[in-house]
Amino acid sequence: MARRLPVAAAGAATPDTIEAPGKREDVGEHEVTEPDRPWLVIVHNDPINLMSYVTWVFQKLFGYPRPKAHELMLRVHNEGRAVVSSGPREKAEMDCFRLHAHGLWATLSRSE
Amino acid sequence: MKVKRAGAGVRLRFDATEAQLLRGLTDEMRLLLEADVPGSDEVVQRLFPPTYEDPAEQERYAASFQDPLPAAKREALARVREALGERGPVDATVDAEGLASWLAVLTDIRLAIGTRLHVTEETMEREPDPHDPDEAALSVLHWLGWVQESILSAAP
Repeated sequence: MARRLPVAAAGAATPDTIEAPGKREDVGEHEVTEPDRPWLVIVHNDPINLMSYVTWVFQKLFGYPRPKAHELMLRVHNEGRAVVSSGPREKAEMDCFRLHAHGLWATLSRSE
Repeated sequence: MKVKRAGAGVRLRFDATEAQLLRGLTDEMRLLLEADVPGSDEVVQRLFPPTYEDPAEQERYAASFQDPLPAAKREALARVREALGERGPVDATVDAEGLASWLAVLTDIRLAIGTRLHVTEETMEREPDPHDPDEAALSVLHWLGWVQESILSAAP
């Protein structure tokens, strides 16, 4: 059904980010601009979108298995918001764009 | 309305009245997406919500995504509008991509109606009230939701 995207935090496994913090100067030619904290893609609850549709969107956009997508949907519904994916800024922005294209209310924030 | 699974997509059938309602709603949505509606409009804000809280970040983001988002919505809408034809009932088979467009367009229309009506979870769950002036619009909102649910249950 959907083009599968790398699951959350796939970007965090790059050599740059698994270096010990003190070694960051040694990464050589790798440009490390925002190495530490990933961006979080947050979906907010709204009274209009159907629960079944929100679950379907999480499956389609992120390739999550149905139980995980369903659980995330419930978290959005019950807690008002939930982190649905995370990663480097560019990926997070693209995720947010695709959520908006599907009518979900999504925002980005920096991981603490 | 009838929905049946068809390969990687679904076969959608609407009678003439339902089809006419959908044509009207999709045409209104196209006007909204094409018109120069101020960004402060509540429906525009809901369809194109800000990504960042920080205004400077948002401005930078908008420079890249301000145009692609309405373009994606217009493209999905055009695909659905084409399947609806010009008159009479509708019998359309849509593939997986078309199915996603249908779901997104139904969502946008529901968001537009629901936002204008300022619906809450309570409004959405209450029994029909014939004395409420918003009742007709609410019933359209619920009908579109039912169409959406039907597509989702038929989808592969």
